[in-house]
Amino acid sequence: MLLIAGTVLVKDMPLTIGEVKADRELLMVNGYRIPCAQGTGAMVSAALATTEHLGLEPPHVLLAGDTGRGSGSRDIYEYLIENVVGLSPTVLALHYCLPDMALTGKLCEAVARCARRPVMIADAASMYAAKAAGLAREFDIFTPDSSEIAFLADPDATHPAYIARHLFDTAVADIPKLVSAAYKCKGATRLLLVKGATDYIVHDGKIIETISEPDVPALEAIGGTGDTITGMVSAFASAELEPHEAAILAARANRMAGKYAEPTPATRVGVVVRQLPAVYRNHLCHWSGVCYSEGVQQ
Amino acid sequence: MSLLKRRKPSFEGGGLVLFMDVGDAMRAEKVLKSARYAVKLVAPPPELRRGCDLAVAINLVEQPGIERVLGDKETPYVQVAPLKAGTSDLLDIVKTTDFSDWTMVKAGNMKLTFEKDSGIIVNTSGGGCPDIPHLHAELVGKRLDQAPRPKDIGFTLCALMLDLALEESLNLWQGDEK
Repeated sequence: MLLIAGTVLVKDMPLTIGEVKADRELLMVNGYRIPCAQGTGAMVSAALATTEHLGLEPPHVLLAGDTGRGSGSRDIYEYLIENVVGLSPTVLALHYCLPDMALTGKLCEAVARCARRPVMIADAASMYAAKAAGLAREFDIFTPDSSEIAFLADPDATHPAYIARHLFDTAVADIPKLVSAAYKCKGATRLLLVKGATDYIVHDGKIIETISEPDVPALEAIGGTGDTITGMVSAFASAELEPHEAAILAARANRMAGKYAEPTPATRVGVVVRQLPAVYRNHLCHWSGVCYSEGVQQ
Repeated sequence: MSLLKRRKPSFEGGGLVLFMDVGDAMRAEKVLKSARYAVKLVAPPPELRRGCDLAVAINLVEQPGIERVLGDKETPYVQVAPLKAGTSDLLDIVKTTDFSDWTMVKAGNMKLTFEKDSGIIVNTSGGGCPDIPHLHAELVGKRLDQAPRPKDIGFTLCALMLDLALEESLNLWQGDEK
């Protein structure tokens, strides 16, 4: 089971867990409608498009409404701490939340008690909390963008707003240098997907792949197009691909979906997500060697 | 259906509010707890001590919301500081990208893009705190000078970086208008 946990902007939505379904432009979970917008909604939408194409069970999601005060975030952490052993997900992907270092620590302790340790993925503020708490190595995959890799490379920062100025400057010019620094200060996971003008796939400090085509600069301005990558990585990981394979496919698919969408900086992320079925039909077999015909693996 | 057994919130958050006198610190703790922030009175490390030897430990990510509550309740404080020695100052630099009809302004981990002619905010991206999708919904489609300020309606450091991007966007757009 792929379990995605994160906050959504549906005000007053209580903690809810369940299988996610698509309902036209929205996501449906236990009767709640979630927009495919920047954040966890975009991530889940991309993960669902991926599992649908692969003929896999849809993602399970653990969601709570939270517009910044943190109560929904704490509900998510606490529920996972109490229940992750029983839920026994194969992949646990953590996303938007109010970062809480203490609760992240307790969650990692709980995960260690799982009979089979899930693949642990973190993005957004869940990644901030894991790094700030010194727990990056308890996770398998982080998916930072260029400013966030600067944060992972700063041994003292607990949030990207407090990174050293020279690292922020370096984030534009020299990602490999920041990658190296992030591993040195133990701010990185075994597998990193650094999202940007060029996507870097890094395994144990070594850059094993770079992806820069198709080049769709407008994607950087569109809120949620980093979230979609993390959703796809999570879904591919739940298909038991190796983390680096999942990351490479996700980066390629996101760029191609961007190309199909012909976006401007004013485009919404939902337009990009809607391209994923066509991207997978046209390219996934060629990229991965894993080919499907009418839901049957060949 | 209740999914939870409620626990006391934690406060290992990496930030301190510093005060000139003990009374202010004790009042701040009460004010912040009333506003449902997880905080605790602590002794600040010597290198951070500014006035008295009492501080309020906070989750640093919540700095903007906490400063707003203290301001609203007229509770004086010296500053909010990261607890970890060696932490840099809050980022105050921005970078811009020209997309022909649009400009994207990046501050820290946040980006805001506006249409040059109209000043309409067309997108925000980046970040990862729970107020960011809410701010995206509140800002997109509004003109820069009519949009709510993220520092006024957001709660986190991501919101503060988005506010910095908005401020710079306003400066750029209004500069072009003149």
